[in-house]
Amino acid sequence: MTSLIGRKHTTLKVALLGPLLVFLGVFFVAPLIVNFTQSIHSGAVGQWLQEYKLIFSHTYYYLVLGQTLALGVVVTVTCLVLAYPLAYITSQAQGWFKGFLLFVIVAPLLINVVIRSYGWMVIFGGAGLLNSVLEALGLPSVRLMYTWTGITIALVQVLVPFMTLSISSVLETLDSSVIEAAQTLGASRLRVFRHIIIPLSMEGIVTGCILTFTLTIGSFVTVMILGNTKTMVLPWLIYQEITSSSNWPLAAALGVVLLVAVILVIATKNLMRQRRRSEVTNT
Amino acid sequence: MTRAERFIRACYLGAMVIFLLLPIAVVVAVSFSNTRFLIFPPHGFSLKWFSDVLSSSEFLWPLWNSIRLALLATTVATILVLPCVVALVRLRPRFTRTLEAVILAPLSLPTIILAIGLLFFSAQIALGGSFAALVAGHTVIVIPYMFRTCYAVYIDANAEMEEAARTLGAGPVYTFWRISLPLIRPGIIAGGIFAFLMSFNEVPVALFLTNTKTTTLPVYMLSYLVYNYDPGVAAISTVQIVVVIVGLFVLDRLFGVRRIVEAR
Repeated sequence: MTSLIGRKHTTLKVALLGPLLVFLGVFFVAPLIVNFTQSIHSGAVGQWLQEYKLIFSHTYYYLVLGQTLALGVVVTVTCLVLAYPLAYITSQAQGWFKGFLLFVIVAPLLINVVIRSYGWMVIFGGAGLLNSVLEALGLPSVRLMYTWTGITIALVQVLVPFMTLSISSVLETLDSSVIEAAQTLGASRLRVFRHIIIPLSMEGIVTGCILTFTLTIGSFVTVMILGNTKTMVLPWLIYQEITSSSNWPLAAALGVVLLVAVILVIATKNLMRQRRRSEVTNT
Repeated sequence: MTRAERFIRACYLGAMVIFLLLPIAVVVAVSFSNTRFLIFPPHGFSLKWFSDVLSSSEFLWPLWNSIRLALLATTVATILVLPCVVALVRLRPRFTRTLEAVILAPLSLPTIILAIGLLFFSAQIALGGSFAALVAGHTVIVIPYMFRTCYAVYIDANAEMEEAARTLGAGPVYTFWRISLPLIRPGIIAGGIFAFLMSFNEVPVALFLTNTKTTTLPVYMLSYLVYNYDPGVAAISTVQIVVVIVGLFVLDRLFGVRRIVEAR
């Protein structure tokens, strides 16, 4: 009798879970596999890994990869510094004030990146908002269009919400009695912050940094609108290989390089988390 | 907090709010200008660009494509996700954690990689350039959002109501339709709105899988921006911004924005 029920349940599980898993298998996993096979074998007989040999023998590709990763690091660090206080204030806020802060953080997230980058174009442009303001103040004009600084500012605006939400969701669960205890025992505000609040929100900081970094190195719309060929990043190069050069195998190989970078970052995070867990259980 | 600290805090918060909202506010401001070029501060006030944009099919056709695409992707995702959520919550299969991770995996992958993968793959299975490939791609992208809200709602729901229905003689399909589905409904609506917006805003996959006939609004805007600087794009952007803000308010009333964006 039990085996009958067990078998029935298995069929039911397969029937309920099957469609979604098959769908993801066909339209998520299979494209990644096709991408991979495309990248290692470019068509000509006996020609394997040609694209990778090309990528790793040209300084240009190292330059683009380096620029992409550097942009990722700079954007992530800037986002962390700007977003942490905002996340803290949001997690402590109450009532309408909290609602307002959440609205300010979430609304930009839901407005597409083309519109937001266009907004930065209006601000940075030659006759744009920034230069009009500077001119009115009698200051010299600045050029941010087609520069790394401009791209970084725009990307930070796009990604600060992700960082803020990752950190504030952890700070939200912070036990306020721990902070009170430390304060009662005479710890200064700075010490409380350094030794209690930061370590307890580490999980959110790590999650936010990974998210921001992977989103930065995978984004190209902002770079396309605000940059030029000097500010080349890996995703944009992939796009160009497909649209201008129609070099699909090379695009696929560059895609694999990008994917490996992302996987390495996520793997590092998991490793760090495991080590922290074991530290906690050991002490 | 001392007065100085309060002052610093207020300055910081003001700067952050301006920083986050400025590019959006600027686009709205430009859309009401009457000049042909992009100049700030905008000169004069007119609704010219709105009437231009909303009367020609240039932007309306991509807008209609985007709406169709987002509705289809959201619907397919809902149909696929619902049975899965029921199975994971009520039957607790052995690999629940792994299955959750698999379903949420598309979230952590840069979409450009999925985009080129789908481009190669759809060419191989003769779906290249079709609207179906685009719908499939967007469905993959919105599945995690749909899954997360429905799962969060259903896991908190009381199983006793379903058990009571079954004890009283209701069949499994009837129980699902009359008890489980109404229980998950807030999750479906909230996840649906969020999924719709995600698909509506998506660029990389749409950029690779569309042609001039199936182009979506963000992709069309992107290509338009390469050649034009006039405020037409600002007007269509303003329309979208209004839609998003209304959607966000509805979402908040129904579900609480917090629960959807949490723990990405």
